[in-house]
Amino acid sequence: MSTSTVQPVSSLGAPKPRSDEGGIRTRLAATIAGYGTLAIATCVLAPLVGSTQISLARVFDRSIPFADNVDAQIFFVARMPRVLTGAVVGATLASAGVVMQALLRNPLATPFTLGVSAGAALGAILVITFSTAVSLGALSPVPLASLAGALIASAIVYGLATRPGRAMSTSVLLLAGVTLNSFFSALILFVQYMADFTQTYRTVRWLMGDLDVGSFGPIVASLPLVLLAFAMFAVLPRSLNLLSVGADVASTRGVDVARTQRLAFLSASLATSAAVSLAGPIGFVGIVVPHLVRLMVGVDHRIVLPASALFGAAFLVGCDLVARTVLAPVEVPVGVVTAMLGGPFFLWLLVRRS
Amino acid sequence: MATKTNQVLLVLCVLCGQNVFVALVAQERVAKRIVSLVPALTEMLFAVGAGSQVVGVSSYDDFPQEVLSLPRVGALLDPDTERILSLKPDLVIVYGSQTELEGQFARAGIRVYKYRHAGIANVLQTIRELGAISGHSHESDRVTAQLQSQLDAIRARVRGRPRPRTMLVMGRDAMALRGLFVSGGIGFLHELLDVAGGDDVFADVKREGVQPSNETMLVRAPQVIVELHAGDQPSPDVLQKERAVWSLLPSLPAVRNGRIHLLYGDYLVSPGPRLASAAEALARVLHPDAFK
Amino acid sequence: MLRADGVSFGYFSEREAFSLSDVSVAIAPGSLTGLLGPNGCGKTTLLGLLCGVLQPHGGTITLDDRPLTSLTRRELARHVAVVPQETHPAFDYTVMEMVLMGRHPHLGAFQLEGPADFAIARESLIVTGTAHLADRNYMTLSGGEKQRVVIASALAQATELLLLDEPTASLDLGYQLEVASLLARLNRERRVTMVLATHDLNLAAALCDRLVVMRGGRVLAQGPTADVLTGSMVQQLYDVDADVQFHPRAGHLTVIPVSRTR
Repeated sequence: MSTSTVQPVSSLGAPKPRSDEGGIRTRLAATIAGYGTLAIATCVLAPLVGSTQISLARVFDRSIPFADNVDAQIFFVARMPRVLTGAVVGATLASAGVVMQALLRNPLATPFTLGVSAGAALGAILVITFSTAVSLGALSPVPLASLAGALIASAIVYGLATRPGRAMSTSVLLLAGVTLNSFFSALILFVQYMADFTQTYRTVRWLMGDLDVGSFGPIVASLPLVLLAFAMFAVLPRSLNLLSVGADVASTRGVDVARTQRLAFLSASLATSAAVSLAGPIGFVGIVVPHLVRLMVGVDHRIVLPASALFGAAFLVGCDLVARTVLAPVEVPVGVVTAMLGGPFFLWLLVRRS
Repeated sequence: MATKTNQVLLVLCVLCGQNVFVALVAQERVAKRIVSLVPALTEMLFAVGAGSQVVGVSSYDDFPQEVLSLPRVGALLDPDTERILSLKPDLVIVYGSQTELEGQFARAGIRVYKYRHAGIANVLQTIRELGAISGHSHESDRVTAQLQSQLDAIRARVRGRPRPRTMLVMGRDAMALRGLFVSGGIGFLHELLDVAGGDDVFADVKREGVQPSNETMLVRAPQVIVELHAGDQPSPDVLQKERAVWSLLPSLPAVRNGRIHLLYGDYLVSPGPRLASAAEALARVLHPDAFK
Repeated sequence: MLRADGVSFGYFSEREAFSLSDVSVAIAPGSLTGLLGPNGCGKTTLLGLLCGVLQPHGGTITLDDRPLTSLTRRELARHVAVVPQETHPAFDYTVMEMVLMGRHPHLGAFQLEGPADFAIARESLIVTGTAHLADRNYMTLSGGEKQRVVIASALAQATELLLLDEPTASLDLGYQLEVASLLARLNRERRVTMVLATHDLNLAAALCDRLVVMRGGRVLAQGPTADVLTGSMVQQLYDVDADVQFHPRAGHLTVIPVSRTR
């Protein structure tokens, strides 16, 4: 009755959850306290560090008018929104990664496996290449178009994989997602082929990810989607535990499998759509963070999910810090830093397993 | 070529001297059917009077008027080799990076001119070389001399005036201060800025293009921001909104003093015969009082 | 208490058509019923229907006279637990975590396991002889140990009904006997009603007091083991001439296949 899955990643040497009473409650509290502190500390310290030295005293000196206070502007306009964006995007992508891995019962799944980021990229590149000064009030067209593309891609995969009243087949989900990825990637290449130099350059730049939003507006605009996704994440963890052992088995233990799968898919897609339209497709966060967290706290999703969100925030803010300081004054795109950390990490995981 | 003609030439050369020789040799190797994949070089050919020798242009060519009726053969990414060959060219102008294309034409026995993107000096040199190849050396000499004097005139006009720290923006996302692509310390746009009497805020970064973050721009604090856009000027409404995106960084001197200029026109980014006009446009916004 | 009345189910793919036709079984409280038959006879499908994972196309399944469709998954899970043939978790859960999953239908949406839940889980581990494995990674266990942990997990669900799909199929002889005696003990001492699907005739003979014999999607016979499990029944099921005898030392019927008859 059950279906077989991919061999799980070994967590040899990780501290095993102890089977004593109340263990889960204290572990959960300790995890949230620990990772929460890490996330907050990172977000507080990161704006203080950068390629330029700034003086905190000057930053908060009210006597200097804001328009003249370069230090304050660097802190509040250049760095703070960037750090907050990093925290939001990092938390969102890491959580979406956890949920995707549980939904697809595959530790190698990422938030981008099912085509969401390909849809976002297609939306962005269409606007970059074909729109003249299309203005929608004061809203920049690229984030809106990438959001639309992401949501459309999610809707297509959802439509293909869902049958009313029945559970989703993970193989259909995977196939639909992989197909959509290929198809959209082909379309992206085609559009790029027709673009001129500037447009091609801007597309490539967008694809590398960029946390430098410059104001709190884009973050605030993405919050409704992000908060909705997190509200959906909140009810999933125990069901995800059971689901990841087997869909039929979960059903016999009282899990509404179809509902759990749909909720998982929708929440992960919403979260990823919001993150990608805010900062472009930043890879590896959605797969490195869940794996690292599992190595540290075990595999119970009730602990892994909040821990990944918090650690993801700290992780991406940290990567961005490296991105903007390591080769100063030249900035490395943050997606490059996450990839350069993520690639070797996976090699190491693979070597460890064998 | 027949041996007899060679011998005649040799005799003539000895008798008449170097110039005749060069003229005769050049005459023999003049390109009569030219296909150009590089819009700026097409412009140059027309400027030196070789327009009638151009038989095919790239998909992006639109200046001067005459090119609009010429056959299109693709561009950097998608050159249509068959189409080019069907036009029976004796010279094809390609991008330096199109090595495969170059190889194909070499095998077909067709001459290739490779375009290298560099500074103003390179532009003038290219005009001279194209003039020689197309048999219009006199005109090309005249054109380059004229351009040189125009540039010198601009330099003279702005000499002695304080040179503002300028950020030359080559591209950014619409309606947002993201995806910025700005001129660095080398390249022909940087040199135009120099001619126009401005100091490039990223002069120390030895790259043609820089992607500055908000923090970097705050630190560099440009006094003037000039955005260069190929294409037509948008409606005043859109123009206003595009200028307004810079108010995100109010401490920039350029923002405080309202010295943000959005310039529109293909000639602004074309490393060809119109570069003096581009330099002048820049100079006019940097030093308006020098042009009263 | 658990009944199937005139149930039919079918699926059609390119390669095969399969259907369950007009199947009626009644599972009495406290009984240990075996679903017996060759591969493809429909016993696993019937098990899936009985626990509500599959929906019948015709007929009804009722639990204590309530149709399964009128119960939520959670409610049903408090009455019926299932031990699947194979369990492959996608992540490295510990044995304790696996067993605690059986407590899911008894917990509220955001409720964490409390002392009572841990007590039940520990007890299930003790009963299945796996208490010493509580902190081990499930995937590192042997086949027999894994099966016992899965049974412990189902026991933690604290249901009156337990459905098992080929519980001893992949086990060594020793573990087969161990699991069989465990199940017998649970049925006897805790009055857990069990239904197990198996193709192992001797296991069915040893363990079950009632048998439902199936072939080709139909029920051939059902009733007390001694009545149903006869030489002619084995002949009918497997086209095999077998000796069905009571074995004094084992204390139950045994089936010794002798030769093929076709």
